[in-house]
Amino acid sequence: MSEEQKQAPAPQAGAPREGKEGGPRREGAGPGGRREPGAGGAPGPARRGKRQYFRKKKVCKFCVERMDFIDYKRADILSQFVQERGKILPRRLTGVCSRHQRWLGVAIKRARNIALLPFAGSAAGVQAPKPIEAHKS
Amino acid sequence: MEERLYDLIFIARPATPEEEIKKILSAIEHACAEKGGKIEKTEHWGTRKLAYRVAKHREGMYVYQQIRTSHGELIAELERRLRVQDAVIKYLTVRLDEDLKRQKKLSERREKRAARRPRRPASAPEQAAAAS
Repeated sequence: MSEEQKQAPAPQAGAPREGKEGGPRREGAGPGGRREPGAGGAPGPARRGKRQYFRKKKVCKFCVERMDFIDYKRADILSQFVQERGKILPRRLTGVCSRHQRWLGVAIKRARNIALLPFAGSAAGVQAPKPIEAHKS
Repeated sequence: MEERLYDLIFIARPATPEEEIKKILSAIEHACAEKGGKIEKTEHWGTRKLAYRVAKHREGMYVYQQIRTSHGELIAELERRLRVQDAVIKYLTVRLDEDLKRQKKLSERREKRAARRPRRPASAPEQAAAAS
């Protein structure tokens, strides 16, 4: 246990293996790649290729903007997190924190159901949104 | 039951005339009046391109409403009525109040935390002085 703590620069002394992002408490400080088991801190095994184990700091856009509610009606925001073919982008690529990724998934699925985003096929047809009165109460 | 807030979006066929939409809206209002619900907002988003074909249409007229009610079964009733309408090709109801409550809680918590923590440059010398 102590070795891990020496290797992995865990800001939280507790369990480095938990994969806790630290959420809004540590905005921008959490690297995205900590959740996987294996050698903590060392560059990953060969299959990772060019990517090091600890990614460069990627901040969750929602945490930065302090968005507590991801509105499914805002197809313009949601389409940033969706592939060309309509698939949801994984967290490692977008740098979203786990909590927001969950909410994002829910919002994207709702938007798909109401034909604001496609299930499959190009998301290029996503229009500018309607006049938004975002639920930022 | 406490008050609940719902989002209701429905999509009508693209060439639907005004009176049809009005009929649908009044049917919704009727149901709300009967069962006890309040329509907070109504928005016409107009004709938008759909992300995929629905009922062989590529476009649709979107209408958005926000409904506040303390009777959950009102939503089932509204959905039933929308299903019956020919002009409506898709609808979606979303319950919002839990999300909004959580949003408020998080923002309040964040503000409290920000208020509790004094600004760092100002407090650092004080804390150092207090510690020593």
